[in-house]
Amino acid sequence: MLRRGKEQAEGRLVQFDADRPAVEAAKRDARRFEALYRKYVAQVYSFALYETRDHHSAQDVTSLVFLRALSGLHGFREQAQPPDSSFRVWLFQIARNTLSNERRRERRHPEAPLDLAAHFPAKQDVEQTAVSRDELVRAWQVIEELPPDRRRALVLRFVEEMSAAEIGAVLGRSEGAVRVLIHRAVRSVAQHLGHRSD
Amino acid sequence: MRGQEEEALLTDAYIDALLAAHAGAEPALAPPDLPADSLLRRTIEVLEAGLPRFHPSFLFEEALAARLRAAALGARPSSTHDPLAAELIHLPVAATGGLSVVAVDRRLLVGGAIASGVSLAGAAMLAWRRRERDRERPSLGGRRRWLA
Repeated sequence: MLRRGKEQAEGRLVQFDADRPAVEAAKRDARRFEALYRKYVAQVYSFALYETRDHHSAQDVTSLVFLRALSGLHGFREQAQPPDSSFRVWLFQIARNTLSNERRRERRHPEAPLDLAAHFPAKQDVEQTAVSRDELVRAWQVIEELPPDRRRALVLRFVEEMSAAEIGAVLGRSEGAVRVLIHRAVRSVAQHLGHRSD
Repeated sequence: MRGQEEEALLTDAYIDALLAAHAGAEPALAPPDLPADSLLRRTIEVLEAGLPRFHPSFLFEEALAARLRAAALGARPSSTHDPLAAELIHLPVAATGGLSVVAVDRRLLVGGAIASGVSLAGAAMLAWRRRERDRERPSLGGRRRWLA
């Protein structure tokens, strides 16, 4: 997400947002926002789907996030210290807030997804595969039960492939705290996979 | 607490290494050491391989794109010659009536598969099955984030 460029005049490395050109173009002409939308629509939708476990709710949240981002784009300011300046972090902050509002409004209860996992029986010999169906099902069972912050951090790390620093900016936590959140989440899953005790 | 922070650093470094490997890039930093716990490493591998990214349906994506274009047009002065505005009325999927006639790689579509009644975990399981099937067909190669 973030890339490094050389600031020739001062001869030092600086970080800047990879989306800066697209953001600046969209600020000049709102129609250019579509490039940012196309780039991030799947990420935002996926994050919303993991949170809501509901296809229609995820679509609603995705719509709200991008409409709010478009209307608020002129308020987005890249900060001096990445990754807080990242457009993606800003977008996911909007997503987090939107999801919080939706939850308060709807109090939607997730369905019981793991029952439905059985509808997809594996026909091949799963012992030959890198990740077995059994492991995946058991991992899902734990992920479903994780405290929201741990689950959220896990999804942002593994699905959205964000760094701990980016996740920290999205969740309003320090980078170190996010690492510990993820570590605890992974350990919870590990305990279930191996019936291991700490 | 300090020990846990160090373990958390190792866990994070291992996740970084796996993500970088699947992206075909060199990790920025080689982990100084792997997490000592083999079960922890295995769990990280399961999570890295087993949590797919889902994609909204093509119809939804295009419909929202049209809403955003309309909102963007509302936020700017109109012009007599506006090639981008013309895109607003060009929505080829609107008249098709369904995804089945959209000529795109279906593996990259979620369509309405994750509709009510089909769970997220179920969709993830389907994605897993497709990944496993694809593993047997190396010509497809690369890392695919399945869209159930």
